[in-house]
Amino acid sequence: MIYGFTGKILYVDLTAGRLHTETIDETAYRLYPGGRALAAYLLLKHMPAGVDPLGPDNVLILANGLLTGAPFSTATRFTAAARSPLTGAYGESEAGGFWGPELKMAGWEAIVVTGQAATPVYLSIQDDRAELRDARHLWGREPEEAQAIIRDELGDKLTRILQIGLGGENLVRFAALTNELRHFNGRTGMGAVMGSKRLKAVAVRGSNRYLGIARDPQSIADLGKRLAKRVKQHPQSWDLQDKGTPGLTAGLNTAGILPTRNFHTGEFEGVDNLRWEAYEQEILTARRSCYACAVRCKREVTVNDRYQVSSEYGGPEYEAVAGFGSNCMVDDLQAVAKANELCNRYTLDAISTSSAIAFAMECFEHELIGPDETGGLELRFGNAEAMVRCVEMIARREHIGNLLAEGTRRAAEVIGDDAPYFAMQIKGQELPMHDPRGKVGLGLGYAVSETGADHLTAFHDPMVANPESLSFKGAIPLGVREALPPRDLSRKKVELYALLENWSSMERAVGLCYFGPTPRSFIAVDEVVDAVRAATGWDVTVEELLRIGERATNLARIFNVREGLSRADDTLPQRLFEPLESGALAGVAYPKDDFARALTELYEVKGWDPQTTMPTREKLAALGIEWAADLAG
Amino acid sequence: MQVHLGGHLSFYDAERRSWVEWPDAAPLTLRGLAERLGLPAGEIAFVAVNRRLAALDDLARPGDRVEFFPPMGGG
Ligand code: SF4
Repeated sequence: MIYGFTGKILYVDLTAGRLHTETIDETAYRLYPGGRALAAYLLLKHMPAGVDPLGPDNVLILANGLLTGAPFSTATRFTAAARSPLTGAYGESEAGGFWGPELKMAGWEAIVVTGQAATPVYLSIQDDRAELRDARHLWGREPEEAQAIIRDELGDKLTRILQIGLGGENLVRFAALTNELRHFNGRTGMGAVMGSKRLKAVAVRGSNRYLGIARDPQSIADLGKRLAKRVKQHPQSWDLQDKGTPGLTAGLNTAGILPTRNFHTGEFEGVDNLRWEAYEQEILTARRSCYACAVRCKREVTVNDRYQVSSEYGGPEYEAVAGFGSNCMVDDLQAVAKANELCNRYTLDAISTSSAIAFAMECFEHELIGPDETGGLELRFGNAEAMVRCVEMIARREHIGNLLAEGTRRAAEVIGDDAPYFAMQIKGQELPMHDPRGKVGLGLGYAVSETGADHLTAFHDPMVANPESLSFKGAIPLGVREALPPRDLSRKKVELYALLENWSSMERAVGLCYFGPTPRSFIAVDEVVDAVRAATGWDVTVEELLRIGERATNLARIFNVREGLSRADDTLPQRLFEPLESGALAGVAYPKDDFARALTELYEVKGWDPQTTMPTREKLAALGIEWAADLAG
Repeated sequence: MQVHLGGHLSFYDAERRSWVEWPDAAPLTLRGLAERLGLPAGEIAFVAVNRRLAALDDLARPGDRVEFFPPMGGG
C-alpha cells in the first residue's frame, strides 16, 4: 500500500491522439517525489538531447508535488517543465492556485505531453477518465472566455483549467501558463511549448480527497488547523497576508537595490507612487488565495481611471511593480497594473516582458532602434503609455514586439552594437527584480540556476544575516550555523548557499510554496518533515529532504550539460560587475574576482566538475542516481 | 516625527500600523526609538532617516522621517 501519492502518470501523445497510463513505483517516487524532481527525472528519461524546444519532440511535463493538495497552507504548487524555448536549457516553472490540487484529487501525479496536435485540442480529465477534445473554436480566445466555454462544454462550473492565451499561441518565448486566470507558471516559456503543441488547455476535475490517500490524515489535518491559526500570529506570514509581495518595494528602494532604469541604479525617485501604501489606496480591491492556503498573499486590483484594469486577472506582484515601475522608470501604478493585467491576459511572464521592454527602452534611447521599429512609439524610459502598448506588441508579435518576443538575448543579437550589454539576462532568461549587488549570495544563485536567472532558486542573503532574526533561527535545523552579511561572498557563504538551495529545491519538488517554509516564512523545518512523514509513512529526515532537493538540481544540471552548457553559462550580466549609479549602494559593484573564486568553490561543494559542471560519479552515486552519469556523454 | 514600520515590523505595533506619529521630544537614538516602539532588534535589518541609510546609534531628531525595515526575502 502506498500513501500520499498514487504513482499514476498520464501520457498524452498529441501526434497520434493517444493516451495511456503508467505508474511510478514507491522506490523511484521516494527519490523523485514530484514537482521539479519528478519532472527532471521524466525529461531525462523520455527526451533526447538537442530537440527543438518548439517542435514535436520536446516533452512537456506537468507534475504535482508529493504534498500538492494536502489541506494545509501553501501545499499548492505544481511544476511545468520542458526544454526551454527561451534558454535552450532545462525549463521549469511552478505555480500555485487550484489546478495542481485538483489534479491530485483526480488521482494523477503528472502528465507527460509529447508530439504535436494537427489542430488545437484541449485535454479533459475527470478522475481517471481523460480525453482529447477539439479546441479549434478556443484558439485565439482570451483565457476568461476560453475558461467559460470549456466549463460550459463539460457541464461543470468547478472544473479547474490550466491554459495558454495569445502569448503561448504566438510562441512568445517567455509565454506563461495560467490557471484560474490568476496563477502562473511564469518563467522559461512553458506557455510557448504548450502553444507549439497546439494544446490550448488542460481541464481537470477530481473527486478524491488528499486525506483519503495520506498515511496519517489526522496529523495533516491538525497541521492545517495549526498553520491557519498561525498565519496571523507570525510576523512573516502576517506580512505576506497584509501587504503581499508589493510590500517589498519601499524597503528595497531604501536599501539601494530596487532595479531602476534597466539595472543602472537601485533607487527610484518615483517610488512613493509605487510603494505599498499607494498600491493599497489606489488599486487594491481584494486579497486572494490559493487552494486551502490561509496566507492569502495574492492581490486583486481594479482600475477604472486612466487605464481600465480588470479584476479577473490578479494584481501585480512585487516583480511586476518593480519590472514595469522602477525598471522602466514609470511611476504610475495604474499603468503598471495595466501592463501586468495584459501579461496575465495574454499569458506572458511579467518578469521577462517588463525586462524586455526596459531593454528596448535603453536601445531606443541609444538610437539602436527608432520609431520605424517601434511602430512610431517613443519607447523611452518613463513613457507609461508606450510601455503598456509594447506589452500588446509582444503578445501580438507586432513591430518591435515580434523581436522582443524572442527574448532579450536573441533580440540583442539581432540589434547588435551595444544591445547585448543592455540585455539583462542569464542563459537567455531575464533577471528578476532583485539586484545581486546588494545580496551577493543571490547573485551566485542567479548565475548557477539551471533555468537562467531566478530569484526563487535559493535564499536572499538578508534572511540569514542576523543570528537574532526569525528567519535565521528558523533555518538552524537545516544546519545553518553562522550569520553572514548580505555582501559576504566567502567560502562560508558558498556553503550556506548550497545548503539553502537544496532546501528551496526540495520545496519545489514536494509542492510547497516559497512563502510557506522557513526561512522565508512561517512553517518550521520539523513541520515539513512531519508533513512528508504523515503523508507517506516514510521515516524521512531533514537530510533526506535536502537530498531530494539536491538530486533534483543535479538532474537539471545534467540536462544542461547534455545540451552543451558549461561553466561559461553560469555567469552574470556585465552591468552587475559595474557600480550602481546612485542610492544607498552608489558605487558598489558585484565583486568580480570573488565571483570567479566562489563559483569554483560552489562546484566543489556541489561535487561538480569545475569546467564542465557535470556532477561527478561519486556525487551521483551518493544521490542514488548513477544511471544519469553517462547521459551527458 | 513620522516613523515607518516596513514589512513585517508593523506586526509589532499593537494596531499593526505601518506609519506611526512619534511625539517630538528630546532626541533619542534610533536604537532607543526602536526599543520604545517594541521592535525586536533581530528583526531590524536597516533604518533610514530622511530617506538616507542611518546607523542605529544615530540620533532621531524632531521632524525626521524614520523608516525601519526587516530582513527582506524574495517574492
Ligand atoms: S502563500 Fe500565497 S502564493 Fe503561496 S500558496 Fe499561499 S496564497 Fe498562494
